[in-house]
Amino acid sequence: MAYRRAALVGLVILALALPFLFSASRFYAFILGVTYLYILWSSGMNLLSGFTGLMPLMYAGLAGVGAYTTVNLVMKFGVSFWLAMPAGALAAALVGVVLGLPSLRLRGFYFTLSGLVIQTALTMLFVYIPQFTGGDTGISQIPPPLISLPGDRSFPLAGVWLEEALAVAALLTVYVVHRVTQSTLGKYLVAIREDDLLTEALGIGVTRYRVLAFFISSLFAGVGGAFYAHYVGFVSPRSFDVLTSLNIWLIVGFGGQGTILGPIVGAVILAPIPYLMQEFYLYKDIVYGSLIVFTTIFLPRGVYGSLLFHRRTRTSARGKSEAARS
Amino acid sequence: MTPEGMLLNGLAVITTGLIVGAIFSLVAAGVTIMYGTIWFPNASNGQFFILAALLMWSLVANWGLSPFLAAVVVIAGSIPFSLILEKFLVRPFYNVPNRNIVYFIMTLGLAQIFAGAFTCTYGRWSDQYSLPATWPGVIMLGPFPFPRTRLLVLLIALILLAGLFAFLRLHRIGRALRAVFQNREAAILRGVDVRRIYRFSFVLAMLIITTGGVLFALAYAFDLTMAWNMAIIAFAIMIVGGPGSVLGSVVIGMIFGFTQAAVSLFASPTLAAFSYLIVMLIILLVKPSGLFAR
Amino acid sequence: MLSRDGKEAVLRSFLFTLMILGFAVLVLLLPSPAAAQAKGEPIKIGWISELSGTWSFFGNTGITAAQIAEEEINANGGVLGRPLQIIPMDNRTDPAQAASAARMLDTQNKVLALSGPTSSDTALAVYGYAEQNQVPFVVPVAAFPRLTRPGTQWTFRLEPDAVGWGYAIVKFVEKVKPGASIALIYSDFALQRAIVAGLKYQAERSGVSVVADIIFPQNATDATVQAAQVKSKNPDFVFVSGGGAFDVTITNQILDLGFKPEQIIHPFGAVKMILGWGPRSIGSYYGTFFDHSLGGLNDYAKGLITKFTQRKGYVPAYIENFCYATVYLIKEALEKAGAVDRTKFRDAMRNINTKEITTGIPMVFDKNGARKEFMYFLQMKEVGKETYKSQEAFYIEWNPEVIPVYQLAP
Repeated sequence: MAYRRAALVGLVILALALPFLFSASRFYAFILGVTYLYILWSSGMNLLSGFTGLMPLMYAGLAGVGAYTTVNLVMKFGVSFWLAMPAGALAAALVGVVLGLPSLRLRGFYFTLSGLVIQTALTMLFVYIPQFTGGDTGISQIPPPLISLPGDRSFPLAGVWLEEALAVAALLTVYVVHRVTQSTLGKYLVAIREDDLLTEALGIGVTRYRVLAFFISSLFAGVGGAFYAHYVGFVSPRSFDVLTSLNIWLIVGFGGQGTILGPIVGAVILAPIPYLMQEFYLYKDIVYGSLIVFTTIFLPRGVYGSLLFHRRTRTSARGKSEAARS
Repeated sequence: MTPEGMLLNGLAVITTGLIVGAIFSLVAAGVTIMYGTIWFPNASNGQFFILAALLMWSLVANWGLSPFLAAVVVIAGSIPFSLILEKFLVRPFYNVPNRNIVYFIMTLGLAQIFAGAFTCTYGRWSDQYSLPATWPGVIMLGPFPFPRTRLLVLLIALILLAGLFAFLRLHRIGRALRAVFQNREAAILRGVDVRRIYRFSFVLAMLIITTGGVLFALAYAFDLTMAWNMAIIAFAIMIVGGPGSVLGSVVIGMIFGFTQAAVSLFASPTLAAFSYLIVMLIILLVKPSGLFAR
Repeated sequence: MLSRDGKEAVLRSFLFTLMILGFAVLVLLLPSPAAAQAKGEPIKIGWISELSGTWSFFGNTGITAAQIAEEEINANGGVLGRPLQIIPMDNRTDPAQAASAARMLDTQNKVLALSGPTSSDTALAVYGYAEQNQVPFVVPVAAFPRLTRPGTQWTFRLEPDAVGWGYAIVKFVEKVKPGASIALIYSDFALQRAIVAGLKYQAERSGVSVVADIIFPQNATDATVQAAQVKSKNPDFVFVSGGGAFDVTITNQILDLGFKPEQIIHPFGAVKMILGWGPRSIGSYYGTFFDHSLGGLNDYAKGLITKFTQRKGYVPAYIENFCYATVYLIKEALEKAGAVDRTKFRDAMRNINTKEITTGIPMVFDKNGARKEFMYFLQMKEVGKETYKSQEAFYIEWNPEVIPVYQLAP
């Protein structure tokens, strides 16, 4: 137990230290920043897909809502990022609940399909309200978040400090998702995932808890979207389309749905790929698509999930054979 | 606007609506057959559609084959392709519960692979593709010039749709297919080899989708982004028409085709796509079995 | 023997190991960026261009011209004694990809400057990155005014701005047929939006009436219904500007309905488009800035035309010219700056007073990086499979701010 504690603390310290270790190369630092962003996003999605068993294909659209809201508040109305970001996250969560609510009664495939439909509609919407989104041309020169200092000055959170902020945001997200899954809410969600009819029969409001999970998950989509916009400095509707949702799902699924470390493993392995394969970045879609097919067929529990599963089966098998021997 | 102007607009809408509707119906029929029998929601149907169109372009515009020969090659070629896909991607999951979600995600991944492959190849050669007219010249419908090739495509599409109906209602295998749609267990009891039907319906559905792509290539210019649009539209038609109902696909397909053409008169065609999505959502929430459900 | 579950488990572990090994091999095989820098000798220019997607006609052709210039320069001793290296990246006509490419070229390749975009949408994305991260950006072909809006520090635009093209078109129509009516049919790209804004503004002031304004979404492929709409309004002229090959489709569908080629005005004509419009369009007008049909070509221009035609099989026009001239301009500015330093290069560009290498047209940038504007309107006379001949119908020069350019296209 103590060993696990130490390992965890070690990981947290590593996560916080990495931005400084990478600060010499803006290139690798950016890859690190993007990885943190995906850890944040995939942990948020994991709450819905891994723990509640609902696959939200509109996740990227919600991230877009968060991003555009924040960007508009900051660039058009001069609101501080630290106020705009929660506002964006809230907007994403509300849109998510409003759009997702009717479809929460749907089972399995139909829910996924409605997610796809809503995602497509959101992307179309982003293109057709250029007053807020810049349309297909996008919004560029998004400023980094500012920290106001006493005496009317401000400090732009750029470079290594922004990556640090992303690290903190990612760690907080993982922590919150972990607490949620450990709580009663988390247990209800797992029960709903395993057998929603039985859970309903036991008197637990299935829809109510699904909505709650949706709300929290969408909040994180929005937070990630806001950070994405101010980190990358550019957003366009194509940054938040079906493929993005799918790729976040891939990270969750490949890493291990329903586990806390799974999305982290997935993000660390998959997020850097498009950047590291510079000469082959054109083939990113083929690689990601192949991984999705591969994961569905061969690795439904994900990398980390499979590891956990085999460890558990081995220990229980050992336990059984020992019991049989004694 | 002058009466002639109105007639011109009206004819443009009607002819476009008919052809686009017929092609929508074909692709949607393929998707609905796949979903109705095997429970295989094929999110990459749009990519197969565009693949057929792109291959037609390569064979006809690039290599100079006659359009008829090219069409035969592409459509016949889809059969071994479908059989391979069925063996490796579809069959392993026949006994898995909730396999429709697995299939859906898998085909989304497959769609991404195809989209990526197309971008690296066709995407670099041109941004839009069109074939030279198969039957050059136009037929004047009043003030409106209707290209002969499009008329040909329309006729072929309508004949195929009629043929599909006849097959499903009259032929032994077609009836077995419909039996499996409606009630798997009863079909098994009646001696239907369900697995063979699954394989057959997959290949048939792919044939229909491929034909849709071939016909579209003959009639219109196309580009790579159509693949995703077609996939969404096909799903919308399937859901609204009722999964498994070919009649539903045809009726709703024609309606969507006309909507698309009519909306382009006064607004961007994307507004039409938006309307399909709204309708699909409404049906999903209110009557998920669709309008023509059995 | 292993049970079925056991077999599955073995298969999974095997595949899993294979995958991890595969990844490891992939990562190890990648060239490490540090190694690429150690060589350090060539002066690197990032060329972010539309090599696939809707604007690929432009991007693919421009980069060839740029590479011809690169080879010529290197054959003549390079710049400041070092070879010039153009590093191409495909932005897929997607602004998000363009921004990402800009970041990669800046942080990983550490280029001196960025160039390359022929589409205004992607150029704007690179512009945002360049201004935010202080990287000099020389835009060869994109024409959106915001690229040089007041306050621009690092960006320079060679092509006259698109809002001005709209102004020029109206001036042309005014001359050919005062008081005419014009229908607009075009795709929704930043470039077209800017041109139309300028066109409508000046149309009001010149007595030209706009009778139809039809916009297509970016991926449209068919214009049957919209062409009918245009015909039903019976305009004197039709302004046609689709994205990429769609332009040819719209043109053909408009001609199908009985319009005469002389009624069609294209704001710009890439060679692939001109060849695509084909013999049916003989008599149509298009705007341009350089064309082999115009007289007075100097040695550089003739050299470009010969070499380019050899390589690609068709004659170069204004896109290729701008890309070629941009590379030579970069060389000149570098020599003026005397050092491979971003700020010095930018300052040299600001103060440069030279001529376009192929045409002798002056190249001076105002405080925002914009040039004095000019445009030719040519009429198509002959079209073959690989070449064409056009005749000058109109020439106009104007000051970048003759109309409120930056307000019309924010």
